[in-house]
Amino acid sequence: MSTKFFSPTRLVCAALFFLLIAGATARAADLALEADLVSGSNDPQAKGTPVSPQIEKKLGRLPLKWQHYFVVNSQQFSVANGESKDVSLSDACQISVKNLGGEQVQLTLMSSGQNVGKIKQSLKKGQTLVAGGNAGNSIVVLRQAD
Amino acid sequence: MNQEQQLKLQSFLDGELPESEAREILAWTQRDSAAAGLLAELRNTRAAMAKSEPHLSVPETREFFWSKIQREIRRLEPSKKTAPEISIFAALRRFLFPAGALAALVMILHFRGSTPATDNLADADTPTVETTLASTDATTYRDASEGTTLVWFSPAADNSLVPSKKPTAIN
Repeated sequence: MSTKFFSPTRLVCAALFFLLIAGATARAADLALEADLVSGSNDPQAKGTPVSPQIEKKLGRLPLKWQHYFVVNSQQFSVANGESKDVSLSDACQISVKNLGGEQVQLTLMSSGQNVGKIKQSLKKGQTLVAGGNAGNSIVVLRQAD
Repeated sequence: MNQEQQLKLQSFLDGELPESEAREILAWTQRDSAAAGLLAELRNTRAAMAKSEPHLSVPETREFFWSKIQREIRRLEPSKKTAPEISIFAALRRFLFPAGALAALVMILHFRGSTPATDNLADADTPTVETTLASTDATTYRDASEGTTLVWFSPAADNSLVPSKKPTAIN
């Protein structure tokens, strides 16, 4: 009995099975996120831990009035595909993040338990979503965890 | 001279007659001038044909010449079907083909179904903002080079809380 293990037909079938498995694995993967509550200030000596240079650079390019940013609270969490996660960043600031799949999220911003708005946005590695409002000098920075 | 006598002369010339009969024919041709003339004419005709018969020579050896013909015959013959190879995958091929097609179909449906939000967004990088308070507006600014999106919620009549050092950049 002779056997050919690398005929095109077999390779195509094997590739399809591997892709199917890879697709199923990718679908099951959670989205690891990091949400930071950041306060803005024009005082470089303000109290708090400065944000990372990477985040500072990103925030510095946005049309905000502050020059310096400090981390008030930071939360890392993961959200399964199609699931939501509620995260409390402070007494006054809560967020809910839903994993829409395909590295897209829906961020719901809440202020003192009151729903302020929803943002749907792709959040690939390196992308950052910044949300803020009537909460003094506080903003929420959401991105994929490193 | 009848036809049978003419054939006898031809047979004599070809050496096909028994000796006794050949002697009779020879004696007859010596007696009969017509028979002698016909015999002479037949001899001349045979000699002429023998000289004019083309002599063909093949540049190759006899074995090589015939081997070429044999190969050509084999080439023109319809190829006999060889017995199919028996292998593990050959036995499973009936299963693998439809399974592969099914896997591809499942993947297509999977990827279409796993990104429902994509259908709702013209561009995945463009945020879709929804304010839940009637008195709230949302302002969006996108820094494509850094991959940063800013969404600022503020009271509808009050934009003073969107502090901007680059006001023209706000969408």
